[in-house]
Amino acid sequence: MEEFDLDKITKALKIDAKAIGIPSGAAEDFIQKSLKAATKKLSTKTIITEKDLQRTLAKELKKYHQDLAYVYENRDTII
Amino acid sequence: MLIMSSLQIVPGVFALFYHYALGKRSRRKASILGLFFILGTEVISACLFLSSYYLVNLLFLGEARPENSFVVWLAAGVTLALAFSSFFFYYHKGSTTTFLSRKYAKSLHRYATKTNRLSDAFTLGALSNVCELPFTLPLFIITAIEIMEMSAAYVANDLLTVLYIITPTIPLFIIYYKYHTHHNLADILRSRAKEKTFTKFIISFSYLIIALLIIIFRAI
Repeated sequence: MEEFDLDKITKALKIDAKAIGIPSGAAEDFIQKSLKAATKKLSTKTIITEKDLQRTLAKELKKYHQDLAYVYENRDTII
Repeated sequence: MLIMSSLQIVPGVFALFYHYALGKRSRRKASILGLFFILGTEVISACLFLSSYYLVNLLFLGEARPENSFVVWLAAGVTLALAFSSFFFYYHKGSTTTFLSRKYAKSLHRYATKTNRLSDAFTLGALSNVCELPFTLPLFIITAIEIMEMSAAYVANDLLTVLYIITPTIPLFIIYYKYHTHHNLADILRSRAKEKTFTKFIISFSYLIIALLIIIFRAI
């Protein structure tokens, strides 16, 4: 069991956002908002899997940017 | 050639690699890295295909001539098995992940994420092409036999070899072009998911046709 590194997730999402072509200011803003909302939703659970976090965060990201959410949710399914 | 250009590991790794390159570097630097990836794929394709000529020469020096019925039925059996397995096992069930083991796919993914040097991009291109070997090596060997036995002029054989080496990289150039025309990984992933069944069908059907051609023209 390991703790989630939110900085690592934020960094990865920022790279995705830049590659997709989202302006860095906007990306930073909605990544933070989505992370905040996702951690709030998951805070009631004692154990969360990587999939839980991925699903919840993707759901939150979808409210701001469809493509970024899609990439975040599906990048493990490409190879 | 249709099979080679329909296989999905190399385009998948390339799409992922180029996405991360664009996310971390300038468009120009990412573009150069992408070209080195394609060069790596091209070089290893050439090496594998040309070494399959050598392998064919080595295999068929003795008793096992290609016109030997056992060899013909073996080739037909292998292509039939590939037709079957490409339809049922190329993708994992209910997903767009390929037949590679998860552990290996994860390390390829990690490599695609972290690669930022030209030499690494070249190696990644070569490595991802090697991953397709279970589906490409039999094809290389069968094609090498056919080309070697062709009575056409030497230039025609060479041209076929060159075409065979270039064709697998066409999807990479399409992805490269897509990234440069404001498409992103999400678009590529969506189209890949949409065309999954079609891709499986094309690979499987092409192998089936090859198997039938071998049986009709060589075995019977």
